[in-house]
Amino acid sequence: MSLPQTNENTLAKRALHVLIIIVVLAFGACIFYLGYVQLGLGEEYRAKAEANQLRDSEISAERGVVYDRNGKELAKSASAWKIVIYPNKMADCKPAREIVIKKLSSVLKISEDTVRAKAEMSQYGNMVVKYRVEKDVREKMLEVLKQECYEDTNEKGQKVKYKFADFVGIENDVKRYYPYNSFASTVLGFTGTDDVGTGGLELQYNSILTGTPGRKITAVSGSGDSMPSEYETVVDAVQGTSLVTTLDETIQRYLEEGLDQSIKDTQAEYAYGIIMDVNTGAILAMSSKPDYDLNNPYEITSQTVRDHLDEITDERKRDEAETTAWFNQWKNRTISDTYEPGSVFKIITAAAALEENIWDLSKTYVCGGAIQVDDRRMHCSHREGHGTQTFSQAFANSCNPFFIQLGLDMGVDNFYKYFEAFGFTERTGIDLPSEQLGMYHSAESMKKTKVQLASSAFGQSFTVTPIQTITAVSAIANGGKLLKPYIVAKTLDPDGNIISETQPTVKRQVISENTAQIITGMMEDVVSTGTGQNAYVAGYRVAGKTGTSEILEEPGEYVASFACFAPADDPQIAMLIAVKKPVGEYYGSQIAAPVAADIMQKVMVYLNVEPKYTEEENAHVDRNADNVVGKSVEEAKQTLTNSGFNVRVIGSGETVVEQVPSSNQTISANGTVILYTEQNAEKQVTTVPDLTGMTVNQVYAAANQAGVNVSIVGNAASSSFISYKQDKEVNSKVYCGDTIVVYFKSTSSDAE
Amino acid sequence: MGSEGIRKESSLKLLLFGPRVEDKSLKGLQKEFKQRGTIDVVFLILVMYFVVFGTIMMFSASYPRAELETPEINILKLEFGPYTYLVKQIFFLLIGIPAMLVASVVKTDAVKRFSFLLFGFSIVLLIIVLFFNTGVQSSDGDQYRRWIDLGFMTLQPSDVAKFTLIAFLAALLDTNRQRVETDWKALLPLTGVIVFVAALIVLEKHFSATFLVLLMGFTMMYLGGGKKWCFILVIAVAVVGIVLLVVNMDVFPNYVQERLKGWLDRDYDPTGSRWQTNQSLYAIGSGGLFGVGLGNSKQKHLYLPEPHNDFIFSVICEELGFIRTVLFVIVPFALLILRGFQIAMRTKNRYASLLVMGIMVQVGIQTFFNIGVVTGMLPNTGISLPFFSFGGTALIMLLGEMGFVLSVSRRASVNE
Repeated sequence: MSLPQTNENTLAKRALHVLIIIVVLAFGACIFYLGYVQLGLGEEYRAKAEANQLRDSEISAERGVVYDRNGKELAKSASAWKIVIYPNKMADCKPAREIVIKKLSSVLKISEDTVRAKAEMSQYGNMVVKYRVEKDVREKMLEVLKQECYEDTNEKGQKVKYKFADFVGIENDVKRYYPYNSFASTVLGFTGTDDVGTGGLELQYNSILTGTPGRKITAVSGSGDSMPSEYETVVDAVQGTSLVTTLDETIQRYLEEGLDQSIKDTQAEYAYGIIMDVNTGAILAMSSKPDYDLNNPYEITSQTVRDHLDEITDERKRDEAETTAWFNQWKNRTISDTYEPGSVFKIITAAAALEENIWDLSKTYVCGGAIQVDDRRMHCSHREGHGTQTFSQAFANSCNPFFIQLGLDMGVDNFYKYFEAFGFTERTGIDLPSEQLGMYHSAESMKKTKVQLASSAFGQSFTVTPIQTITAVSAIANGGKLLKPYIVAKTLDPDGNIISETQPTVKRQVISENTAQIITGMMEDVVSTGTGQNAYVAGYRVAGKTGTSEILEEPGEYVASFACFAPADDPQIAMLIAVKKPVGEYYGSQIAAPVAADIMQKVMVYLNVEPKYTEEENAHVDRNADNVVGKSVEEAKQTLTNSGFNVRVIGSGETVVEQVPSSNQTISANGTVILYTEQNAEKQVTTVPDLTGMTVNQVYAAANQAGVNVSIVGNAASSSFISYKQDKEVNSKVYCGDTIVVYFKSTSSDAE
Repeated sequence: MGSEGIRKESSLKLLLFGPRVEDKSLKGLQKEFKQRGTIDVVFLILVMYFVVFGTIMMFSASYPRAELETPEINILKLEFGPYTYLVKQIFFLLIGIPAMLVASVVKTDAVKRFSFLLFGFSIVLLIIVLFFNTGVQSSDGDQYRRWIDLGFMTLQPSDVAKFTLIAFLAALLDTNRQRVETDWKALLPLTGVIVFVAALIVLEKHFSATFLVLLMGFTMMYLGGGKKWCFILVIAVAVVGIVLLVVNMDVFPNYVQERLKGWLDRDYDPTGSRWQTNQSLYAIGSGGLFGVGLGNSKQKHLYLPEPHNDFIFSVICEELGFIRTVLFVIVPFALLILRGFQIAMRTKNRYASLLVMGIMVQVGIQTFFNIGVVTGMLPNTGISLPFFSFGGTALIMLLGEMGFVLSVSRRASVNE
């Protein structure tokens, strides 16, 4: 075949055209556009791709532990679980989504709408529907995950089965747990649903208690499943900082038991107490009753309040009342309540007067039962008047006219100087939230009318917080140093290494050591001979001051308080007990002092403070009977008699088989030990007599007659002290020789 | 030619492969070898490069999907766990490479002679597939009728038709050269043939293949020497038409409109019509200049639709990065096409020239469209990347076509 040359060229030319179009233009465009997309827009697309591919789930961090000063865990975080859903996966299968929503709503007891709102956020790979679920719910959920959820037909006509596990997952979480339930609840505070502290230490130290959540970044495929593990990045959660508090579990328990008992005995609305280390300002115990269960903070603990709530029919009003009740029981009244300190404040007035040499200690004052201040006649609590008294006696008698005179003599400037110096115009700065400040007269205002100064001088017409009072009283105990109270001693990192340690802070020297010592002596007299005799603790020198104040806004209602420290010769701890609105008796000496004495005695023993008994006290000191089981009757008699006990032998055996009371029970010095000498002898039973309303000698006589022993609690030194309570019920049956605890207190009518 | 050294063959064999040398001595074989000519080694190396590299990339891209679809290895059900696609592709290669070798010794004249028969056969297949297909339902509710189930594999008649159309058009253009070059009306029956094939493919709901066939046929007619103004006119009409259509999108079916909107507006409906393109772009963008490394694509983990098929290029971009993608994919394609055109221009056989150019045009257009689609330069439509995409019919046909190019190169070398 021979073809025209031109046509051959046509093919070549056109081939070249096509070649240029394909290779140069088309491929060139490809390279150019690819470069634009991959390099020009690459960063943007890469970011979007990562947002798409990575499932970022948070690993909950444990909160730090809160310890007492001996390492007991007061608050800790325990394992829990959270339930998550995968909204993006559900978006592809809407009927399944509805089934999942219904199921989760019923198993987790949350509303369908809540679940649906989260399930419909299809742009997310992972949403938490419920935090902090417990083991039982987790197990239920594990069952659910295995179940089949929905069957669908895909585009190729194949059946696709979905399980709940395709849309729902369980991840680790943590939950706050309080091993001691209501213990120190108003101090510790609790954490809310989001694991954030809502009060107390949990709130104050929330930022450091909160751990750093970890993250698990998993690459997920288009269907939401995890990609091979090499794409997984895990940043471990770091536990929060732990707190070692100054609280002592044992002392706190004594305080709480004492306050609980007090509320039970007096039907008071509130009772609160603080125990402070006078040398450092560390809070050993702090409680405000009634309080609540930290593990169940929304349960109203007070039966009275619950009954009151049940009576309200209007739902809205009931809710309001319930909220108020919650906040009432969560409130740490030792720092958030203000009250009139009453006579306890006389400590401060006395200290100021001594420090400023306003009144010579030997100078006497005659109390006629009232004092005229400007146009006002101000009465003494002892209407007949205390007669001629020295400073010390007036202090022991808590004589109002004397302190009014003292206040007027020192003048506003001196008074205000010490009022301020003892810290009553400022917050103590304790490391707890919502510390309040009381109301008081300004120096200018006090200068206008004498009555303000006069009433302030004996602790009326202004308010303070309990923490301010205890801090001021501690300053007397420690030789005049005003300390900053604190409750966290140390912070620890997750490995237990100390991050920081609180050093005691001395704010200022308020009074001289000498003045402090004199006041201490006066306070000791209050307990030994004055209004505070109910706070007497055999073997320990307690210095204290009673206080009773009418509540300003509620006339006829009182706060009975008692502030004290011990031992007087080497003060270790200070204690303030306040009982608000007791029913019936309301004097601090009657209501607060016995509680303080009871607690103080236990705390002193716990702190291993050596008791020092006087001759007189020795007669009443309770002690453990010697253990004579297994000894011959003669030998046993000898031993027990030597110890000052009486002996009664029952049976004709030669050796002691059993003794009542046993050696681990305490009995009073002149008690009787009953020895059984025959195996399986029937133990003698007797009826518990009524031992209340008697003097100590009457009690001994009655006990002896009934064949029981007694143990004396409280001051029983003279006939003015009457027993008012016993631990075993009248007419119940006990073994002969068993010990009955009998409580004494003073009944003198002018006690305050 | 015709010498006594040449043994008589059965007529079909003779027709296909030409006469063979009877002398079995070394000298005789050398003579036969000379007579048959040598294949173009550069072209063969390029093809083998694509076969090896393409299979590796297909394996990397298909792994996660295969693992999801067939988690267990079950030989009876032709399931091989994550290797399912790899094993199948290798199986296709085991058919395709021998097919290529056989094709490389077939006389181009024989192709021309049988082109009508082959064309007729593929038309039959295109009709059969409309009735006997695997019936895949699309998400839009359309019935895709693209595949015939052969049991061990599926056959895609449109892939067969692409080649037979090239072979048939080349024959028509060669035979009717005079008329084509002088009379524009001669193009009408040719256009008729092209449109007929395109129409059958449209019925399969395979628009990308339809468009490909039209464009290929159009290019073939241009190469065949048709009047230039015809082509300029068609291009002008096409451009105006496209502009008009894009402006008045309402004439398209809904899903086409959606895709066009997604193409024109990068932020349009990201979870719907734009989803596939976006996922592809995320992959390409993630690759950057140097890529995330072979096997490390994340987008192939069920984000990309068909990562082993239409969107394999995105995976390559993500894993290898821009530089290597250009060097290892685009440049080799350009070289292959250049070499193909060289072979076409070297041969004196005009039919062979047209056949080879047609094949190269097909490879070129498919490559361009595939890259264009996955980079978002062109509207989203399913078109496979030669040598890389998974697919039996396409791969076997492609290798066969490469065989015919090699066959032409052999005869070109002896100046037939």
